[in-house]
Amino acid sequence: MSKQYLTAHTVDQAHPTEIFSLSPTPTSLFSASGYSDLRIHSTVDPSFPIQQIIPGAHKLGCHHVVTARDGVGNTAASVGFGGEIKIWTRKDTGWELLWEVTPAKSKGGDVWAIALSSDEGFLACTTSDGRIHVWDVAGREIIQTYETGGGGGAGSFAMAVDLSRDGKLTASGHQNGAVYVFNNDAGRLAYSLSGLSKPVRTVSFSPGGKKVAAAGNAGIIALYDMANGEHVGNFSTPSDRPAWITSLDWNDSGEYLLSGSLDGRVKVWDVIRGVCVATHSETDGALWCVRWLPKNERALAPGMSRGEMFCAAGKSRSISFYREATGT
Amino acid sequence: MSLLGLPHAHSRALRCALVPIPCNGSGGGALSQIETLLESILDAISNGDELAIPYRTVRSTRGEDRGGEVVRFPGRTAQEAKRFAALFRIIELSHEALVSGNLITKRNIYYQNIDMFKSQAVVDNIVDNLAFTLGVGRGDLNIVAAAKGLISGDIEFLMRGGAVVQCGLSRDSGFLLPSINSIDKIDFRATEWLLVIEKEATFRTLAASQFTHNCRAGQGVIITAKGFPDLATRRFLCTLSSVRPELRLFALVDFDPHGIAILRTFQNGSKRLEHEDDVTVPHMRWLGVRSGDIISHISVFDDLASQGTESQSSQEVSSQESLVYSEVDSQLEGDRPAKRQKIKRIQDASESIAPLTQGDRKKAIDVMKDICAGDGMDLEVGDLLLELQMMMMLNMKAEIQAVDNFGNITEWLDEKLEEFCLH
Repeated sequence: MSKQYLTAHTVDQAHPTEIFSLSPTPTSLFSASGYSDLRIHSTVDPSFPIQQIIPGAHKLGCHHVVTARDGVGNTAASVGFGGEIKIWTRKDTGWELLWEVTPAKSKGGDVWAIALSSDEGFLACTTSDGRIHVWDVAGREIIQTYETGGGGGAGSFAMAVDLSRDGKLTASGHQNGAVYVFNNDAGRLAYSLSGLSKPVRTVSFSPGGKKVAAAGNAGIIALYDMANGEHVGNFSTPSDRPAWITSLDWNDSGEYLLSGSLDGRVKVWDVIRGVCVATHSETDGALWCVRWLPKNERALAPGMSRGEMFCAAGKSRSISFYREATGT
Repeated sequence: MSLLGLPHAHSRALRCALVPIPCNGSGGGALSQIETLLESILDAISNGDELAIPYRTVRSTRGEDRGGEVVRFPGRTAQEAKRFAALFRIIELSHEALVSGNLITKRNIYYQNIDMFKSQAVVDNIVDNLAFTLGVGRGDLNIVAAAKGLISGDIEFLMRGGAVVQCGLSRDSGFLLPSINSIDKIDFRATEWLLVIEKEATFRTLAASQFTHNCRAGQGVIITAKGFPDLATRRFLCTLSSVRPELRLFALVDFDPHGIAILRTFQNGSKRLEHEDDVTVPHMRWLGVRSGDIISHISVFDDLASQGTESQSSQEVSSQESLVYSEVDSQLEGDRPAKRQKIKRIQDASESIAPLTQGDRKKAIDVMKDICAGDGMDLEVGDLLLELQMMMMLNMKAEIQAVDNFGNITEWLDEKLEEFCLH
């Protein structure tokens, strides 16, 4: 049984160059691109208008912007191509810079991927030499560093990171195909997960933290159980030529996984049955990021449905919003 | 037919493309400066004073003008005395070369006094600093780097000594690029474009296949500086484009941070040799290799590469790889005997594609910073920035050979040159 999603709206030319990252708050969506500014779009209005532009946020462009999943939506973090991390906070007047971690301040290799905990208290970031630093956002200090590959910066480039919503686990995905899960309470490695022998570009915890999904150049999605670290499944569509998967995201109920890939396809997977239930390939060229929008409980503007929505962006420089076809 | 046999006016009429190369004008300035310097040293010797030569290093004085630096003899340390001797020797050789009108190579200087200079780098440094101190270019001292660049194509050089160099003769290896100062006139013939290629191997492949003659976009010339461009090649290109502004200049470099750095050195010059004039070609255009040239093939590369090097990790992966094989098969369109060879070529291609190293990523950031520090972001510069971002996002680099191995580089170049020559 397939599900139907319809294009709800497309924000054309949302950025002047390729869009590399998207991240939603309960009422808005951050977008980041090869251009220096960050843009924030309202997600409670059917035309998804620009709410705020933060000019010159990252001089060399920005590759990751994150918000807290299930969070209140008062904090965001972004990483620029220069390796600098910026933490943003929401004030009555809009988003402003809270503090910045310059490349010199983060130990080891250049910072790449980041993730923010649900309570917006912790920030995990990966480095090009395979380290994962965990920052205390309020204290503005590194409280934990996980080494991989034997330590001493000998690890494989950590291309992806995620924090479980309860903040107990950190997962990292690496260039050499490794996926590691760390126990944050104990401060040590919980699982070293095999199964993908190619670069891992995205890792994502299920909302309950019971599973982690990982994907990348292998073109398949690997699913692991966090109770025992077992590899419990692979998702793929045998009829398609495999393409590098760049982005994964679980919906709020944990029933569906969203994936985006370099061939421009965005797919919705039924996690229980392990099958692809919807495919869209309307975008022109590579997709760099796909995200579900949080379910919205507040009053909606006319024209907004209560059905679940997701968005996708990449090479086309536009942001496409899709909504579930409710059939009513 | 010998050009030399014809009276000058005739040859111009017969070959309207014969372009004279202006003689290097400021050389006289360097000569008089050096002679003044030598005179002051002679005066000092006859007066029994300490000997001193003004000497500023490119690196120490950048940003702040700390003029008045000198090297003394006998000096305060033995090291300074040695430095004086080396500097004096180079000034003497430069003087000799300027008076006689000959060129001397940096390599030659080194080999004449190996014990004194210890390494080629010492000579290179002193020569550049001397030129910087005198406010002239290296070429004005009649000191040149040993020719490194190669050229191939239907173009002819009339040397100042009267010799003729025809670069269109069928020779796989191409010709050593002559020093621009030694060329009197150039016969461009039907040359419409000039392509600089980073890789010598690709240059040789194209030279051997007579690509410059058979290209669909018209006749052209190919040049390689064998990697990072030397001053001689850059000056050569700058002069060519100034005497023939309609000549289209292109660069073909690897899809990696160094490739972009090479392109930018041709376009904007290098930091170390900022004091050199007439060595940039800002309008040189970037033909490739770009992410778009390889991105559509990478999953196939990827799978075939792992086929060769890794054991199968899971059932699912292997079933997908067989799909890739059938994909490759269908592309072959019945070309059965070539099939094995084609797969072999794709495997070779996957070797020319690799993940970025940590050093590559640092270099990419440096080049991006350099790009963003410049004034104004035009379309071309934005394009460079985006491609560096793509390298970092894909975490992948690709050599020029990747394009060749996947398909056929001459076909690819034909398409690119046609596309670029249209705009």
